[in-house]
Amino acid sequence: MYMSLLHIILPAKMNNLGNFIQSISGCLKQQGMAAEQIPRVQLAVEEALVNIIRYAYEGQAGDIELRCAIADEQRLIIEIVDSGAPFDVSTLPKPDIQCSVKDRKMGGLGVFFIQRMVDELLYRREGDKNVLTMFIRRKDGRFSRSSSQDMHAEA
Amino acid sequence: MEIDVKKEGQAVIIALTGRMDAVSAPQFDKTVDDFIEQGETMILIDFKFLEYISSAGLQSVLALAKRLEMTNGTVLLSDLNGAVKEVFEISGFSSIFPIFDNLDAARASI
Repeated sequence: MYMSLLHIILPAKMNNLGNFIQSISGCLKQQGMAAEQIPRVQLAVEEALVNIIRYAYEGQAGDIELRCAIADEQRLIIEIVDSGAPFDVSTLPKPDIQCSVKDRKMGGLGVFFIQRMVDELLYRREGDKNVLTMFIRRKDGRFSRSSSQDMHAEA
Repeated sequence: MEIDVKKEGQAVIIALTGRMDAVSAPQFDKTVDDFIEQGETMILIDFKFLEYISSAGLQSVLALAKRLEMTNGTVLLSDLNGAVKEVFEISGFSSIFPIFDNLDAARASI
């Protein structure tokens, strides 16, 4: 059982990216996460959301669910859920990051950032949904399990 | 994201403030497209006040560099800090672009 901090569902549209990022950032700040760690979490979440917004629903309408909870004193759990085409970002290969401007490919970096910015990345297909789970270990301090309601998580 | 642009001699200096994400990066693309269409070939991007960049922002910078390469132009970057610097480093972008500590150093290299 995790202590829920945030649960929002919005249409998978680029104009909702700001709402998602502001919500998660507010949550991290409220938990007293170090200022330099917040952009890393924002990056992982943005990249995951943008992938869904651009590709998951193949032009059709659909929603994205964003959940954030305290997993334990050291770790935050963030789950991003969509009902689009199955897509497992946790196992995609890394892009070639050594080559020149001419040879450097556009794309592929978003998934690389998700993989790099979180401590543990898990993917599962749950019915017709993609569930991406990120565990983030805070660099300093501890999470306190006192101010919110408990949530039952399937993870 | 705020984009401030000024022309200084041969160079166009683009100063970015705030967050360069998937929503704001197209604004940057539009700005640089206009300059390239006007025949500009020397573009200096000042990141001093940019707090955040995602892969969408990096792709915009890469797309600009690729376009300038076709016209023998140059893109110079200056003053990367904090989260922005970290993103450039881990993506390998630090080693494919000329990056200067500050705007003066970038200007001096032109």
